[in-house]
Amino acid sequence: MKISKQQYARSLYEAISDKSDKEVKAIIAGFVSILAQHHDLDRGAEIIQNFQELWSLERGELRVELTSARRLEPTVKASIVDYLKNKTGASSIDLQEKIDVNLIGGFVLGYNSSVLDGSLRNSLTDLKNKISN
Amino acid sequence: MSTTKDFIVEQLKEEIAGFKGGITEKSTGRVLKIFDGIALVSGLSEAMMSEILVFKTAKGEVNGVALNLEEDQVGVIIFGDYTAIKEGDEVVATKKILEVPVGEALIGRVVNPLGEPMDGKGKIATTKFYPIEKIAPGVITRDPVKQSVQTGIKAIDAMIPIGRGQRELIIGDRQLGKTAIAIDTIINQKGENMKCVYVAIGQKESKVANIVAKLEATGAMKYTTVVLAGASASASLLYIAPYAGCAMAEYFLDQGEDVLIIYDDLSKHAVSYREISLLLRRPPGREAYPGDVFYLHSRLLERSCKLNKEYGGGSITALPIIETQAGDLSAYIPTNVISITDGQIFLEPDLFYKGNRPAVNAGLSVSRVGSAAQIKAMKKVAGKMRLEAAQYRELAAFAQFGSDLDSETKKKLSRGQRLYEIFKQDQYQPLSVAKQVLIYYTLINGLMDDVPVERVREFENGLYKYADLHDEVLKVINTRKELDEALEVQVKTLISDYKTTVEYLVK
Repeated sequence: MKISKQQYARSLYEAISDKSDKEVKAIIAGFVSILAQHHDLDRGAEIIQNFQELWSLERGELRVELTSARRLEPTVKASIVDYLKNKTGASSIDLQEKIDVNLIGGFVLGYNSSVLDGSLRNSLTDLKNKISN
Repeated sequence: MSTTKDFIVEQLKEEIAGFKGGITEKSTGRVLKIFDGIALVSGLSEAMMSEILVFKTAKGEVNGVALNLEEDQVGVIIFGDYTAIKEGDEVVATKKILEVPVGEALIGRVVNPLGEPMDGKGKIATTKFYPIEKIAPGVITRDPVKQSVQTGIKAIDAMIPIGRGQRELIIGDRQLGKTAIAIDTIINQKGENMKCVYVAIGQKESKVANIVAKLEATGAMKYTTVVLAGASASASLLYIAPYAGCAMAEYFLDQGEDVLIIYDDLSKHAVSYREISLLLRRPPGREAYPGDVFYLHSRLLERSCKLNKEYGGGSITALPIIETQAGDLSAYIPTNVISITDGQIFLEPDLFYKGNRPAVNAGLSVSRVGSAAQIKAMKKVAGKMRLEAAQYRELAAFAQFGSDLDSETKKKLSRGQRLYEIFKQDQYQPLSVAKQVLIYYTLINGLMDDVPVERVREFENGLYKYADLHDEVLKVINTRKELDEALEVQVKTLISDYKTTVEYLVK
């Protein structure tokens, strides 16, 4: 039977939760040898990605990609974090910042599979579409 | 000059002042794989079945529709140029189910399955849209089929009558005149209060161009819409074409009108769906078709219906076409569609090559609605026509061996020969129901027994011309729709008067 990446990630997560660092190391070594036994070592990358998603989901963490035209002030960032906490119910926000001058102004938030586009570029595109139609 | 410039600038200023750019949350995903008109997309966890998804590519936007919703990816069929899409491109959900423009503006137009014009006559001015997939009307809303659709083809109107709201399959090998029957039927709907939709699925564009030209020439485009998914269109367009056509027909149904829709042809539709299904890795079944190929056609054909008065009283009559391979009726798709429809018109190569055109096989063709969809006069003259035609063919095959035949058999044979002569009809020459009643009346009452078989068609054409000159009889048949005794006498005198003008009768 083929074991899905979700099953691998879930079992690894359950095995290492509430364990000390030392035990975790041993468990991961065992996990890798299980992967080798099942000839699934090449699927490592997708299992890790799935594990990360599971980890943040279970811990109430939310990975957010924040792209802005220029560096944002800490107060603005704090209010963005507050907004996202209220909206998604996540307990902590892992904010990954990026600068993209092509946005002209404003910022774009990306989390899970949603995108909140508050950039000036987007507004201008909307305006262009509206006028040209 | 400057005033117009100023005006435009003012307008633009107003537009820009009135513009409110809000922040909208969009559900997005990324293209994982792209191949053969199919894309696999990650993310989009809230995508709906048959939702429109927009691919943001370097060369502009391309639309697609979600067809497979899986745990961590979405299978999408793409309408348009899939080569522009690259792995990793952004995909945005629109929260809109696939829909097509509908309305009066579509009449007389040639459109693709997305409702975009294909005839170069400009934009389609309509604000109404219908979803292409819809659940068929339920039992409560329906009425029995009882009003006729005149195809104008003698063999069909007499033997296999079609009613408004019926689904009658046209089936046969390639090049036997399946499309010709459908086109003749459209042409004959002039003045019958009928809208027509012709859906070309995988047909050669040259053939469709010919058909459109013919419909224009006969004035039939005034009530017809052509939905074209040509042979060069992608499988995804072929797949949605009949549903799109049906949605356009449903608009008129909702206005309480009668619609005739032709699906030409559903074999190619099934093949395109097989292609999509195999690419989406759905398990293949018999003849490599997916498991839901029956549902593919049943959900489409169930949408044809006759609604009762409370629901507007409209109807959709469907004439699906199926192309068989070497007359094989027991292949997968033909058996499926035969079981879904209310009867079939079976075209036979033997008859076709003998010159009996349209080559309708009387024995294998049926209409499950039967004579309920015929006017009374037609019922009276054509009641046993199908049986007689089928019996004649058996008898004729049998009679080839024996030379000594009793007089009864001889009479049946000569009657049958004349009947088959009458069934012959040229393309694009639909015949009014009154004339059909007239010719069948002549035959069944033995008034044609003294006409030599090889001159029956000449006799027939002469009779129509004579009746046109003395057209009060045809008018009465048309208005009264019934052959009572007084009218029968009139008809008889008309025929015998005509026969005095003919000199080739056998005494």
